Amino acid sequence: MTLFKLSLRNARRQARDYLVYFVTTVLSAALLYAFNGLVFSGELQELSHSLKSLPLVVTLASIAAVCIMGWLVSYTTSFMLSRRSRELGTYILLGLENRQAARLFFLENLAVGTVALTLGILLGNLIYQILRALILALFHTRYTFGFAFSLRAIGLTLVYFSLIYLSAQFRNHRRIRSMKIYDLIYFERRNEEAVIKKSSTRRKLFPVSIVLGTAGTLLLLLRSLPSGICGAGCIILSLYGFFISFSSGVPAWFQKHPWQKYQGQTLLIFRTLSAKLAAMGVVMATTALLFTAVLITQGTGLTFSAMFQKRAQQTTCFDLFIGSSEKNQNLDDYQDYISTGIPTKNALQYQLYLGENRQITDYVTHGIRTNDEYYSYYGRDLLMKFSDYSALRSMLGYEKVTLEKGQYLIHCIPFLKDMMTDYDQPVSIDGSVLEPGAVYTESFTQYEWQGNGHGFLIIVPDETAESCTAIHSAYAAMTKEPVSESQFQALTDIQENRTDFDSILAKSQVEDDYAATTAIFVFPLYYLALILTMTAAAILTIQQLSETGRYQRQFLLLQKMGMEQYEMERVLRRQLAIYYIMPAVPPLLIGIPFILGLGGMVEPGILVGASHPAVIAGATAGLFFIIYFIYILIAYTSLKRNVF
Amino acid sequence: MLQVQNIEKYYGSQNNVTKALDRVSFDMADGEFIAIMGASGSGKTTLLNCISTIDTVSAGTILLDQTDISDLPSGELAQFRREKLGFIFQDFNLLDTLTIEENIGLALSLNRFPPRKVRQRVQQTADALGITDILDKFPYQVSGGQKQRAACARAIIAGQSLILADEPTGALDSRSAKNLLEILTHMNQNMAASILMVTHDPYSASYASRILFLKDGRIFNELLRGRRTRSVFYHEILDVLALLGGDVSDVI
Repeated sequence: MTLFKLSLRNARRQARDYLVYFVTTVLSAALLYAFNGLVFSGELQELSHSLKSLPLVVTLASIAAVCIMGWLVSYTTSFMLSRRSRELGTYILLGLENRQAARLFFLENLAVGTVALTLGILLGNLIYQILRALILALFHTRYTFGFAFSLRAIGLTLVYFSLIYLSAQFRNHRRIRSMKIYDLIYFERRNEEAVIKKSSTRRKLFPVSIVLGTAGTLLLLLRSLPSGICGAGCIILSLYGFFISFSSGVPAWFQKHPWQKYQGQTLLIFRTLSAKLAAMGVVMATTALLFTAVLITQGTGLTFSAMFQKRAQQTTCFDLFIGSSEKNQNLDDYQDYISTGIPTKNALQYQLYLGENRQITDYVTHGIRTNDEYYSYYGRDLLMKFSDYSALRSMLGYEKVTLEKGQYLIHCIPFLKDMMTDYDQPVSIDGSVLEPGAVYTESFTQYEWQGNGHGFLIIVPDETAESCTAIHSAYAAMTKEPVSESQFQALTDIQENRTDFDSILAKSQVEDDYAATTAIFVFPLYYLALILTMTAAAILTIQQLSETGRYQRQFLLLQKMGMEQYEMERVLRRQLAIYYIMPAVPPLLIGIPFILGLGGMVEPGILVGASHPAVIAGATAGLFFIIYFIYILIAYTSLKRNVF
Repeated sequence: MLQVQNIEKYYGSQNNVTKALDRVSFDMADGEFIAIMGASGSGKTTLLNCISTIDTVSAGTILLDQTDISDLPSGELAQFRREKLGFIFQDFNLLDTLTIEENIGLALSLNRFPPRKVRQRVQQTADALGITDILDKFPYQVSGGQKQRAACARAIIAGQSLILADEPTGALDSRSAKNLLEILTHMNQNMAASILMVTHDPYSASYASRILFLKDGRIFNELLRGRRTRSVFYHEILDVLALLGGDVSDVI
């Protein structure tokens, strides 16, 4: 049998033994290829000017993914080396040179890598089609199926894969070449050594790691970059400290309460756990770190996606909206351009006025505890003439409303509806007292600086408004065609020549921006989150499945000693559950408050209903656990099949 | 306490049947120490597996303390093994993630012994077997002989009435083997343990009070020690082995 044939046969066997690793590599290759497809897609970049930075962001995400995958491949191949060193030692014993044995190991890993890459590219093309369809849908463009391989994307994926595999193989190659037969044959006896051997140091480390974790999470929630970096550092230290110290904490606890370990199946479960933690504390900590990153990236992705979408919905009721600054209320220069350059169906220029006081602003501000100052942007309550309001409603196709004599109306964002409906105080303006009337909540551009109020607006009779000071002008229009990129650019150019800052919103541009931000920001975050989850879960599962032989011996003995089948299955389930829950708990404790905190930073009224931070946190955890659970299930079924 | 009546055990399919045990019958009294000897393939381990309920018999009955173990449903079998049987294996079969104390205590834990009393009981048994000083150690930190003594403690601690030992000295050096056999004798004489030991080794067998020789699945001969010294008994065993159709090395 030639060396090559031996490598191929070993590679086949290796693929079976390490199916989880193989599948993870295929999926990672598929994701790498799919996102490389985005980098080189001319079609997508032509969709919008705002997608220009997509290749750069995806490339950066891919580099991060390559580093993470590099860890997986390097960890797994060196793990395989330790498991198979006896076999390699035997080859050398039979007369193979170290160099040849190293080549054998390299060739079989290369064979596995090549097959994974080929399958990955095939699958990746399908994932690329899904991504393409999603992005096209975001830009309201028709999707047509086109099954074409991008040679440049394949080339880049190949470069990434070569980097990942060659660096891992280079290390193993050097190791095997310099090893003696004895080292190889007895390599598997080596265990991963505990980082800190002194248990008193470990015990001190435990509370320190908890404090660091809490401090890190709090620092992450502060809104500055330095505190964010410090927070991330604290969390990293805390995770490593926690897992390294926890392994000595568990036996120490049972030493103090010895009888408790003899209760039920505690003994078997706790000892398996502490043995695992002692041997793989660092791996567990790295896994937990990756999971924390997953929750944070996924949660951030979901929060931003919801925020962009909601903001886009709330700001785009008019096809075109211009809000002037308070000093310059003249919009003639814009109007001149629009009258020639942008055909409109309906248009209205109007003014917004300041009320006499801030009684409703205060009511809202006190009613909402977070982001107190958000609604008091104008200083006083903001008013609109009823005639302007009616005209704008009719422009938008909303139902006609009436204003009874001596009353005022409120138009607010849906989030404030209940609070505003409960408001029963009269408003006094220039000597006339107005009683509260109806409350409306349709989309009305109430989020922007110079929009129709910041969250809410009071509609008063025309004569009442006119007695007040106008604070800014606005122009709203429904156009015959969506405002194009060049038309929008022309309006922006006009704005740049004016002295004050104006808000210009074109529905088509806001939607494009939303789509581009989602594609540039959210997709790469999910991409990274997926690779992180798969890598970390795969490493945990490989570790677990490599213990199959030990589990077999353990349960055979327990069966002989009279343990019942259902009890053994329960022990296996609990051992697995604790093993997999351990590295997921600290990330949840850090990630969930982070997501909730992040959601709390967004202005009120945006993340409500299905986009509520709690729902986002739940969805993030749910998404993560779906993928994680697949790996747990693979480990459980495989162990159960082989052990019992 | 143990009555083995006409048991038979067949392996294989319809066209290729192997008879591993052929009408084997014997009785074992309370507190007896029996050794089973025979060549490889003579059915020793099959017999031990059938008695330990790990394997089932094709015909015949096995009664332990008046209970027919060949009829027990699987749920009760586990309970039966837990309460009545103790095992000592050639390769010790201690769990390497548990300390020696925990390995011994495991048998009590499986028997739902009150957790607060486990340590005390383990201490007493370890004391009797001379392994108190290694209780906090893990199996990889102690010698083969100490591991086997720990296995003995585990086999007896829950008050099991029958100890089944499968080549218990197989992995030990001669000094440790002698030490272990003395411990087994001590357990038999002072701790009321009934022992059924499978062995190749005539020296180990000479510690028993009775020896059953198996050949081709049948009991070929039986030897009682009576009041003879161990060395006389040992030579008698060698004679029987010679009669079995080969010298000692053939048998071993």
